[in-house]
Amino acid sequence: MDTILEVKNLRLYYHTSKGVVKALDNVSFNLKKGETLGLVGESGCGKTTTGVALLRMPSPPGRIEEGSQIVVDGRDIMPLSDKQIRKDVRWEEVAMVFQGAMNCLTPVYTIGKQMMETLQEHRDMDKVQAAELIKEYLNLVGMPPEVMNRYPHELSGGMKQRIVIATALFLKPKIVILDEPTTALDVIVQAQIINLLKKLKKTFDLSFIFITHDLALEAEVCDRICVMYAGKIAELGTNAQIYGKQGPMHPYTEKLLQATPLLKKKVDTLSFIPGAPPDLIDPPKGCRFNPRCHKVMDKCREEEPPLLEIEPGHMVACWRCVK
Amino acid sequence: MSLKDTAYRFKEFWNDFKRERSGLVGLGILGFCVLVVLFEPAFLPFKDVNGNWRSISYWEDNPRAAPPVWTNLFAKQKSATTVQYDEATVSEEFVTTERYPGGVKMKVYSFGYDYRYDLSPVDLIVRMTASGNLSADIDVVRPDGQTIYLGSFIESGMKDSPLRFATDTAGRNNVLSFIRERAGEFGINMSNTTGVRPTQLIFSQLEPTMLRSRTPLKGEYTVRVKVPAEIASAPGNEIADVMLVVSGRVSGLLGTDTAKRDLMSGIVAGLKWALLIGLITSVVSVLIGVMYGIISAYLGGFSDTAMSFVWEIFVSIPVLPVLIVMSAIFKPSIWIIIASLIVFSWVGPVKTVRSMALQIKEETYIEAAKALGAGKARIIFKHMAPLLLPYSFANMALAVPGTIVFEASLSLLGLGDPSIITWGQILHDAQSSGATLNGLWWWIVPPGLFIAIMGMTFAFLGFAMDKILHPKLRTR
Amino acid sequence: MYKWYALKRILRGMFMFALLMFVFSLLFNQVNERTQRTQIFEQVKQESARLTNMRADQIEAWRNQRLDQLIKQYRLDRPMLERVMYRAINTVTFNFGQSTVIKSSKGEQQVLAILMEALPRTMLLFTTAIVFQLGIGIFLGMKKAQKPGGSLDRSTSFVTMIIYGMPTWWLGMMLILFFVYMLKLFPSGGLNSVPSPQGFMFILDRIWHMALPVMTLVILGFWGLSFVIRNIVLGVLQEDYIMSARARGIPENSVLFGHTMRTAAPPLVTISLLSLLASFSGAIIFEGIFSWPGLGNLYWVAVQQNDIPVLMGDLALTTGIYQAGLVILDLIYGFLDPRIKVGGKA
Repeated sequence: MDTILEVKNLRLYYHTSKGVVKALDNVSFNLKKGETLGLVGESGCGKTTTGVALLRMPSPPGRIEEGSQIVVDGRDIMPLSDKQIRKDVRWEEVAMVFQGAMNCLTPVYTIGKQMMETLQEHRDMDKVQAAELIKEYLNLVGMPPEVMNRYPHELSGGMKQRIVIATALFLKPKIVILDEPTTALDVIVQAQIINLLKKLKKTFDLSFIFITHDLALEAEVCDRICVMYAGKIAELGTNAQIYGKQGPMHPYTEKLLQATPLLKKKVDTLSFIPGAPPDLIDPPKGCRFNPRCHKVMDKCREEEPPLLEIEPGHMVACWRCVK
Repeated sequence: MSLKDTAYRFKEFWNDFKRERSGLVGLGILGFCVLVVLFEPAFLPFKDVNGNWRSISYWEDNPRAAPPVWTNLFAKQKSATTVQYDEATVSEEFVTTERYPGGVKMKVYSFGYDYRYDLSPVDLIVRMTASGNLSADIDVVRPDGQTIYLGSFIESGMKDSPLRFATDTAGRNNVLSFIRERAGEFGINMSNTTGVRPTQLIFSQLEPTMLRSRTPLKGEYTVRVKVPAEIASAPGNEIADVMLVVSGRVSGLLGTDTAKRDLMSGIVAGLKWALLIGLITSVVSVLIGVMYGIISAYLGGFSDTAMSFVWEIFVSIPVLPVLIVMSAIFKPSIWIIIASLIVFSWVGPVKTVRSMALQIKEETYIEAAKALGAGKARIIFKHMAPLLLPYSFANMALAVPGTIVFEASLSLLGLGDPSIITWGQILHDAQSSGATLNGLWWWIVPPGLFIAIMGMTFAFLGFAMDKILHPKLRTR
Repeated sequence: MYKWYALKRILRGMFMFALLMFVFSLLFNQVNERTQRTQIFEQVKQESARLTNMRADQIEAWRNQRLDQLIKQYRLDRPMLERVMYRAINTVTFNFGQSTVIKSSKGEQQVLAILMEALPRTMLLFTTAIVFQLGIGIFLGMKKAQKPGGSLDRSTSFVTMIIYGMPTWWLGMMLILFFVYMLKLFPSGGLNSVPSPQGFMFILDRIWHMALPVMTLVILGFWGLSFVIRNIVLGVLQEDYIMSARARGIPENSVLFGHTMRTAAPPLVTISLLSLLASFSGAIIFEGIFSWPGLGNLYWVAVQQNDIPVLMGDLALTTGIYQAGLVILDLIYGFLDPRIKVGGKA
């Protein structure tokens, strides 16, 4: 399997009046063609920011810093001009299904108009051809073609989510980033959407980056998992490596798994991670997790641990794991 | 909401507020204004302006429609300024005058006046308070040695009576005689004696063309009031408070209007009314509006619809036209004006507050409070109002300029309260006296300018407050 | 869906108007009646003066009879509520009657004619001003929204605050002082010069007379508008769907002028129309300063001259226009915002 996405030393900083928020600090990972990479972590750890960075669309005052490399299918998109990014990369190569599809569609345009607009921007098609393609994809996600004449507010959350997925796919992008695509939906619709995604991935041989905070969901949908904390990667490995018998290596991942209560096991007290995520303007010295870590050592407070491969395909950033 | 909470909230607010430069400027200006209002007498050139705005006698000694004194800085020809001399130099002399050719001992009250201008004063006014009998001569000694007899006080049977001698009126003939007597010696052309003021002649050099064009005679002038010593010291006769008022061609920091009123005093006096009207109206109407919005949102259903309907009616009434007709029926007193302003202003914040309150209503803690058995009043006043109160403060500040302008508009139309001095009143007088047509800019510019400055001050304050207090509610 | 909404709104507007007319009728009852009675006395006096060939007591009897007749005709002998209703109905149906003093330029005394003559003048002035204000305001507002917190944004917001409390009529006085008496560039007021030129020069002359008042209104007006528009546009720009559109590769122009403006259109139109309607209310003083013979000035003249029919008519017309404006506003808003136009389960 070849690599379709290589992220090297990605740094995204927000330059605010109160200081520089280091939202993403030296993030590096790969995505292989046809796989689903899960991106998990607490709220505010940088998951969505990573997705947005891959589209090279940081919200001001955010900026992707010099030295960051985002290589999509062999081409680094960092040095490209705005026009090139807009025409060639966004949606053609990298598409994103945003968190909260509720608000992702412009309320004053019909669904059809918005999908048509996107399609015609990237492909040289006339209205009839475009309409055909749109209907095809709507059908794929289980939506009737009449929905093209509807306005977003007339549709339910699940319906909007499907439409957003259809819109993300119809240009057949190489990478699809799904940012918590089912968080706002009820369990039944969630299952439907997940099944749909799996089917589409197989049909079109897509590569997904699946952002979620739901570990159970991640385990079901993804091949590999990337755990983020405070703007950095804590651990990266296959599901088998992380969830398997050996268990995770990073103390944070360990705690995360512990914190998910099992349906069958009875617990008296819920396990949790004490403390709160750090201030990203002035993060703790050394490893960013050290104030909350139950396996902290002196070295952790001094030096930041590098992301090292401790076994093939399994990266950890923890001094405990360095021998 | 305990006191400690409020103090903490305020400290937080103040920290944020300190960073808004414009807000601090606004606060500074407001603080200065409050100071001026509290210590008004210190800032008033004419201390008793508040009761005497419509009195003619209070302003008698001022020149009419005189520009401010600092215009002299920009004028090629410097105009004499209005000055008042309260302390006379008292001396005794033995002189021969017209009335006492044989010579008599005189008590002389003299005032020195250093005239270094190009354009003479408009009038020389001598005042005193006297009892009993009095016979006094008034004259002026020029730098060129000439003495001009201006006139006399001849009174009897007075009891603390105020006496006033104005050269412009009472001294005219005497000054003209003085000129006429010297016409031959200096070759003065006496053909046209109309259209020239006595003071213009007093302060000019004696030359042939002096009735038409003059050269100023600069130097030390002495105005003397001479009372025969016998009369001055006779029992029952008393002379006190002898003063000289030089009524200049320019007067005061902001000039005078056609009724001779010092405009600086008027402006300073108007400040307190502007603040009073603005603040009372805004605070009360915003409070009413905010409470109205909260209650309407909280009650919901039919009550909400009914309240919104009433609101619509008030909003649709054109305020100024209605107030104009109302003032034909009611006598315009400032409190009625404030009341009517409140009646029409409360509608402002209602809609926004209502939508914010609707949002809060959906919050779970309101549901929780209800579940705990809290009554409507408690929920509204203890839970909802405190959240919206900070927003209403910003609103109050922003509402003040509008109310000040409104009152000024009413006064401009002549519908204001005539017993108080407001800036709008001053503008009304300016308009009706044709100030714009006659170029009396110092009458028109300051009142409106100060209204605008007040507006700017509260805009600074209000927007700074709004920036800090508003967004917290919207990002819920 | 929309048609229902439109119908309901129009009916509500008409009802509101009728209600307001009733309220005014009630409020001005006193003033109105006093004047009417005086008018009737005057009329009877005039008529009786023309009577000849009658003895004194006959004249007296005739006068009393005529008084009764007129009082009955104007319903002044009826209970108050009836009088108020009668007058309100008259006003609602635009049956204003005759003026007492004021005449139109053609010498007519029909109140409606007088009003119709003044109305276009007010509209001309304020609509022209609003067009300029909106043009500059929208342009400036969008520029400010594109770089919030930037130097343009902050400097224009600063100026907005400085002129926040400045009365338009005072600025008018200032500009007259400066441009008319110092520079002698513009006329001091009025619609046209006297005698008014013909043809094309007439139009130019009118524009010359309009220049100063329009300038005054525009100078003060566009700042506030641009501030509000900036906030509206900024609010929309921060929405998720704008980011989503950009992510889809939609060109920035389409995002700005298509998605953003179209979404901001309902509140924007609301603001614009409301500004226009609001500017009418300040007209009384403003038109007076510039001697512009529009509805505002007419109202003041009517107050001065105690011409109640014209006053009531002016009030009715102004309120009517305001209500109509609000109705049109809601209709346009409903049309522009699909959430209302198409309704449906939100």
